[in-house]
Amino acid sequence: MSYQVKRTITTLVAGILILAAYCAYTFGKSLSGIVAPGDLKFWASSMLIFVAAGIVVIIVIQIIFHILFSIGIAIKQRDCDEKEIGRAIEASFVEDEMDKLIELKASRIGSILPGLGFVAALVALVGGSSLEVMLNIAFLSFFMGALVTSCVQLLYYRKSVPSE
Amino acid sequence: MNKDKIELSNNIRQLRFFAGEMTQAALAEKAGVSRQTIMAIEAGKYSPSLELAFAVADVFGIGIEEVFSHTVKNEAKGREDT
Repeated sequence: MSYQVKRTITTLVAGILILAAYCAYTFGKSLSGIVAPGDLKFWASSMLIFVAAGIVVIIVIQIIFHILFSIGIAIKQRDCDEKEIGRAIEASFVEDEMDKLIELKASRIGSILPGLGFVAALVALVGGSSLEVMLNIAFLSFFMGALVTSCVQLLYYRKSVPSE
Repeated sequence: MNKDKIELSNNIRQLRFFAGEMTQAALAEKAGVSRQTIMAIEAGKYSPSLELAFAVADVFGIGIEEVFSHTVKNEAKGREDT
């Protein structure tokens, strides 16, 4: 498995964990009755906190993963000299045209979900759902879009990326 | 409307063999891409850009046409031209 694939898996797992944490925190509070129905401030502040925390967590995880991956390569090549180890580490971090194409195509597919989610949120509102439901549909669709992007990236790495 | 589809094939595996069993990693490093990209090109799963195709050909010191070849498939008629 290449660095790019492992990095995508790491991002995907981190995204799933953040999403699970958000659901557990907000819906847990909402279901237990701590949050009053219609308290949009709670939902908006929770979403903001989780967006910010999510970005920080993903950056930290990426840095830790980067360090661990480098250590892994260095251990594998422990018989070689320092220069060669450095070269091997550098070679595994190369991001080339295929990676960029995969990222581009995956994000194009992933960006469909937030759009659909927004429409679904509006439809839910028109259908008589509360503003909390609308906010959550919109927010979760953005999150799901990011997760789908990672999944599509993995799929393209596994199968192939269409060139046209 | 033109319905011709171009399918790329390559001789990278053979060329690596004749270059002293050059590894995919070594080729990748010389061409400035990842080993995964070389693997994908070799397996015909990814069509490289013209720049990368030239870079791969340059590694072997031969022309691009000796590394890559194409087959034109006419989807409407089902004929093949090389």
